[in-house]
Amino acid sequence: MASIRLKAEPKAITLEEFGRDVARRIESAGEPQVPRNSGTRRTASKRALLKAIEAAGGKW
Amino acid sequence: MTSPYRPEFEAGLAALARVAERMKAQGCLPPVLVGGGAVEIYSNSAIITGDFDVSTARQDLFEEALREEGFVRPSGPGKATRGWIHPELKLGFEVVSDQLLDGNAERDRVRRISIGDAGDITVISVEDMIADRMGQYASGTAREMLDQAKALFRLYPDADRDYMERRIREETAGDYGIDTLES
Repeated sequence: MASIRLKAEPKAITLEEFGRDVARRIESAGEPQVPRNSGTRRTASKRALLKAIEAAGGKW
Repeated sequence: MTSPYRPEFEAGLAALARVAERMKAQGCLPPVLVGGGAVEIYSNSAIITGDFDVSTARQDLFEEALREEGFVRPSGPGKATRGWIHPELKLGFEVVSDQLLDGNAERDRVRRISIGDAGDITVISVEDMIADRMGQYASGTAREMLDQAKALFRLYPDADRDYMERRIREETAGDYGIDTLES
C-alpha cells in the first residue's frame, strides 16, 4: 500500500500571542471597522444551522 | 495575559483543535478554518460568528470526531442542514468544501495556532481570506465584503502582495486586484 507523506505543518503560535499581534495591528491601523456579513449569500443549509444554534440559545 | 477573544469563540476553537488532533492521529491533514470564523480570529472578534466553516477532504472523519465531541446534526422539519451543533456550547460547524477555496489556495500558507491543551487549529491565510472576500464582493451579492477585505488589508500590511494580487484576480475573474483595496 502506498504511504501518504504529509507535508510538515507550519509552526504553531499560541492563541494569546496571535491575539496580541492582532491587537497591535488594530491599534497601528487606527482600529478599522470590520462590517458583519449581511447574510445574503447564506445557503439553505447555513440558514437552518444558524436557526438551530439560535434555538439552542446561541447568540452571536 | 488573557486572550482577546470571546469565551464562546474560544470554546469553539478548542473543539476544533480536539477534532483536528484526532484527525491528525488518523494520518489526515487537519481541517482548515475558513469563512467568518477565520475573519473573527484575524480581527480579534471584531466580527462575531455563530458557526465555524471548515474545509477538509475527510468530511467523514471530521464529522465522526464532532460526534465524539458531543455535536449533533439538527433534525426535523425545516432543519435540513449539513451542519452540526453542540447543544451546550451553542455553536455549530459546517464543512463547506473538500479543497481549500476550490483548490486554488496554497495549503502551505495556512496559519497554525495552539489552543492550549486542546491542540492546534489550522486557519486559512489572510491573503486567501482577503481574496475570498473579494470574490464574494465581485459576485455582486455581498457588498459588505469589500469593506471586510479592506479592513483585513489594513490590518495586514505585511501580507504577501504578489500572492494576494494573484489570488484576488483568480477569485474575481480578473475584475479586481490589490489596487481596489488601496482605493
